[in-house]
Amino acid sequence: MEAVAFQHLDKSFGAVAALSDVTFAVRAGEAHAIVGENGAGKSTLLNILAGSLHPDRGSLVLGGAPVALASPRNALARGIGLVHQEMLAFPNLSVTANIFAGRELTSRFGWLRESEMRTRARDLLARLQLPVSPDASVDTLPVAHRQLLQVARALAFECRLLALDEPTTSLTAAETDHLFRILGDLTRDGVTIVYVSHRLPEVFRLCDRITVLRDGRVVDTFLRDAVSHDAIVQAMVGRSIPDRAPAPAPAADGSGEPRLRVKGVTRRPCFEDVSFSIAPGEIVGLFGLVGSGRTELLETLVGVQHPDRGSMTIDGRPARWRSPRAAARAGVVLVPEDRQRQGLCFNLTLRHNLVLPAATTRGAILVRGSEVGTSATLVRDWRITAPSTAITPDALSGGNQQKIVLAKWLALGPRVLLLDEPTKGVDVAAKYDIHGIVLELAARGTAVLLVSSDLPEVLALADRILVMREGRVRGELAAGADEARVMRLATAPDSVRSVRLQADRGAVS
Amino acid sequence: MKKLWDVRELSTIAILALEIAFFAWYLWPGEGRSHPFLNPANGLLILKYSSIYGIAAVGAAIVIICGGIDLAPGAIIALSGVVAGGLFVNGHWGLASSTGAGMLTAIACGLLSAALIVFVGLPPFIATLGVMGIARGVAFIVTEGRYFDVSGALPPGWRLAGIPLDWTSPILMVGLALVFQILMTRFQWGRAVFAIGGNAVAARFSGVPVGLVQASVYLVSAALAGVSGIALTIVQGQGKADLAMGYELDIIASAVVGGASLSGGRGSVVGAVLGTLIFGVLRNALPQISGATFYDRLIVGLVVIVIVVMDQLLQRRKGVHP
Repeated sequence: MEAVAFQHLDKSFGAVAALSDVTFAVRAGEAHAIVGENGAGKSTLLNILAGSLHPDRGSLVLGGAPVALASPRNALARGIGLVHQEMLAFPNLSVTANIFAGRELTSRFGWLRESEMRTRARDLLARLQLPVSPDASVDTLPVAHRQLLQVARALAFECRLLALDEPTTSLTAAETDHLFRILGDLTRDGVTIVYVSHRLPEVFRLCDRITVLRDGRVVDTFLRDAVSHDAIVQAMVGRSIPDRAPAPAPAADGSGEPRLRVKGVTRRPCFEDVSFSIAPGEIVGLFGLVGSGRTELLETLVGVQHPDRGSMTIDGRPARWRSPRAAARAGVVLVPEDRQRQGLCFNLTLRHNLVLPAATTRGAILVRGSEVGTSATLVRDWRITAPSTAITPDALSGGNQQKIVLAKWLALGPRVLLLDEPTKGVDVAAKYDIHGIVLELAARGTAVLLVSSDLPEVLALADRILVMREGRVRGELAAGADEARVMRLATAPDSVRSVRLQADRGAVS
Repeated sequence: MKKLWDVRELSTIAILALEIAFFAWYLWPGEGRSHPFLNPANGLLILKYSSIYGIAAVGAAIVIICGGIDLAPGAIIALSGVVAGGLFVNGHWGLASSTGAGMLTAIACGLLSAALIVFVGLPPFIATLGVMGIARGVAFIVTEGRYFDVSGALPPGWRLAGIPLDWTSPILMVGLALVFQILMTRFQWGRAVFAIGGNAVAARFSGVPVGLVQASVYLVSAALAGVSGIALTIVQGQGKADLAMGYELDIIASAVVGGASLSGGRGSVVGAVLGTLIFGVLRNALPQISGATFYDRLIVGLVVIVIVVMDQLLQRRKGVHP
């Protein structure tokens, strides 16, 4: 008996195919995992299941008949509950009101049966062993309790199918155990669970079958008892088209003062005690899954956020800056992950975007002639395909937009370049160009810290790879390490020791 | 159950009481003369004029709790007033039918706001700014600058259901505030309004009919502005297109002073009404202080800021981390 079957689902966002021809079934009463790298299409699939996205083609079969879920309301009415990755709680309402939001117990005209809801909430909280008053305001609860509250909601609605999207990202090990006991109870009661996670040990612990998605396609569905951890990792990272990246530039010799040295930098709860150093001309890859703390680390290094403690030196001089502006003056720049939101001003022309950092960090007077000259040089040097520098960035492809974001910082001649997902959502040719730019900068002596979820990219570009998981650097690998090894470090919470292959280059302390 | 001290309205009541005590002390008259501020007639006057703001503030609070904003109430007050007044005085319609027509006009404005926000997807600020202009404009077009003498057209000594005319709109205000307070705290509709204001995405995922509730909120706000407009026409005894100019900002300020958060999800209907009383007392008492005439806008502005800052500090002390 199938609880839900996905049949030939296609879903695109603009030119990006998030899902293509996804077909597999979840059996009633099983715990079924969906795993894959970032961007493999897991969240899109869950959103279709929860009724908040609609497939372009293909159908969803529930209990034997194809259905069109118009809205989350519709999905809930069919017993499908989603525990969302982001905190989908109502901070302004009480615990009871959160549990029953949207499905309140009511008498005629929608009169709320408050005392009955409170009693049931108290029972649910007791069942979940949550030491929380049903009248407490949710904005006073710790994050883990808010997450478990989502499970309480699903229990209150008596969902027959519970989909969980990375439910443990903000939970401690003990809280995760707690959640798993509850999920185990639920499957014994016949509830079907669809579990999306990066964390393979959790998946192996909970789920009967595992479906692997890669680049929006189903690789295969595996039986837990007939597959190994490594086989799943291989299925997640294996690529049909080899990425073509230029050969890395020869690394700096590593002698002398490192360009950037970071020691014991901590910002709770995002990351803790991160230490490393980068020599001039060296490219260090920083790999980690979403939520591992890598973006937060970069934002702290560049002064968007402030660390709880830790220190940093640039060319041996202590650096302590309070803002990206101060960091840029010290020669440290960040090319952020989200070029739409953080990288470009879409109301300004390319020219103005390109000279913005130079103008604001150096306090230069804007001279139109030099602006035109500088921006034209940048466009030519970085091989940006644009008809003119007087247009706005929305007319450009993603790849060229990304090159503009890079170029505007590179105009400053940075000493340390922090890159967050520099090739996310760009086409292969632009990716190749961007790799070329990064290598060229390194050859000129810039220290580069490259954060990417694109493992082949990290492997191709970096001289060394740091792997982050749950806010800590878990290991350091040499260039040319194999994918499965990096992925294991990034996914396995227990058992794997911090691996150090290179004893004397830089330091992971 | 909530602890008594967690009830946000109590602090608004305390501020109102302090304010009344201050003016009672400051304006204390010489021996043998009656108190210019602290007397029943003046109290009724404050209630009468505050209730025009107060009735509309009930709606404004609901919109703000839902995470929106409504700039149209002032204009809707004027428009519904001139429609009802014009039909009653010049059209010789009955009292009930001209009032009904005024209310329908207000509701039509609310429908327009709701449609622009929910179906067209305009930001509430822009949509209601537009509706504000349209309503005010129509009021001017309809009246061609004239005013309708409603009090002259009413039969002498007329009263609604035996209630003296001056008492009508304060009683309406209290009644509507209680009804909507109960709707907001004890009914599913109110819970949905709070949920949408707290987290609209989560509300959608929880199966709340978000669009429908949002539409209802702007309808309620417009309808209450209509009630307020008709009350104003009766209180002032005339219908005029330039009545209630700028009321929308005072109404929003009242809701905020009464505990509503412009980021949505927090606030109360009763608090908003108490907020209008805080401003009503200020508007009544300040002109009685010699030399304060030019200071009243300044003082009103300062009061808004001081009260809201105090509220935020209190929230922080309670350990709320949103």
